[in-house]
Amino acid sequence: MSPSSPTTSNPPPIKNANVSELSASHTIENKYGLHARPCSALVMLAGEFVCDIDIEHEDIRVSAKSILGLLTLGAGMGAKITLYADGPDAQAALDALGKLFENKFDEE
Amino acid sequence: MAKKKVRKETQITVRDFLEAADGNLGIELLAGEKHLDQPIVEAMVNRPGLALAGFFKYFANKRIQVLGLAETTYLKSLGPEECQARLRRLFKARIPCVVFSRNRRPSKEIKILAETYRVPLLRSKLVTGDFINRATLVVENLTAPRTRRHGTMVEIKGIGVLIQGKSGIGKSEIALALLESGHSLVSDDSVLLMRDSTRQLIGSAPELTRYHMEIRGIGFIHVSSLFGITSIRKRKALDLVVELIRGDEKTKIDRTGLTGKSCSILGVSVPMVTVPVAPGRDMANVIEVAAMNQKLKNLGHDAAKELNESIIAHNIKSASNKKR
Repeated sequence: MSPSSPTTSNPPPIKNANVSELSASHTIENKYGLHARPCSALVMLAGEFVCDIDIEHEDIRVSAKSILGLLTLGAGMGAKITLYADGPDAQAALDALGKLFENKFDEE
Repeated sequence: MAKKKVRKETQITVRDFLEAADGNLGIELLAGEKHLDQPIVEAMVNRPGLALAGFFKYFANKRIQVLGLAETTYLKSLGPEECQARLRRLFKARIPCVVFSRNRRPSKEIKILAETYRVPLLRSKLVTGDFINRATLVVENLTAPRTRRHGTMVEIKGIGVLIQGKSGIGKSEIALALLESGHSLVSDDSVLLMRDSTRQLIGSAPELTRYHMEIRGIGFIHVSSLFGITSIRKRKALDLVVELIRGDEKTKIDRTGLTGKSCSILGVSVPMVTVPVAPGRDMANVIEVAAMNQKLKNLGHDAAKELNESIIAHNIKSASNKKR
């Protein structure tokens, strides 16, 4: 499977067929990047929304509701990521998750 | 911290001591069955050598008295009258009981004295030093702080696990599944925990319901009759508390295993994990894994921590590569 394939994530939002999908871009600004603690925070927050949420980093797209998946991104400080959300509360999810990135996950 | 060790008075009796010794001390009762309710006020063992020599000041009369080879030989060296007088003073001193070590038999005179002053006579196969060590442990454990916890305790591959959670969450059913896969039950529903002298918590079952479980829809079952003798453990040190919560409960669950939660029982900190119960989750399996993971941690190998460290190292490296 090519990393850019829209079906790498689980559950797979069908990217092209779905116009309702929203996205937002962020830069990781905390020193240690997406390690266990930030990933845990992301997963817990993502779990509160019914929409599908994915995170993409360097053409790898994983579900934001899977902690091990997030860890595989290996996204360090300065990495650019894109959030995708698809579902009834997609905008709210993007806003809420975006706050985590903005606040550097409450880390340095 | 306590500055001075204050000797606490105990509630134990010679009967408790005998029951707790349970074959471990090679002990048997020779006389004084009627007087087994004599209290052992101080949970210790004493060799009354000085008392027998006539020095009764500071005589520790509230402890178990042991007569070993030295004491009996000394008594023999006295004349019969003197010997009798010294022994009388000893038995008169309101001692809880007298133990003869090395399986020595007390003389008829001693038996009469014991009867007169209502002192049970015991004898142990052990040599005196060994008896004192083991008996001290026995009485210490008898007087150790204890508590009772709602929950089910099992032993999984050598790890003592206390499963806690609200009534009806399925603790007994999970224990049942664990028994099926060869693990053993310490106690269902109610667990007695004791803090021993090494500050370990030892779990056991209340005497009355020991080795029984209640399974909804079936009623009471006798575990060892159904699952065999290896399915039960009389006592087991507690290594891990597993707290079960409903999957829909809005409790923050640690997804990483990095936080290292613990709970305090009798002032001892015990590692704890909180596990949500959800349909389709094989809880027995999950708890088995939790137990094994704890074992690994006890051996100094923390998988969550190590994984995270390697991820952080990778992230830092990739961040600095980006800068270049």
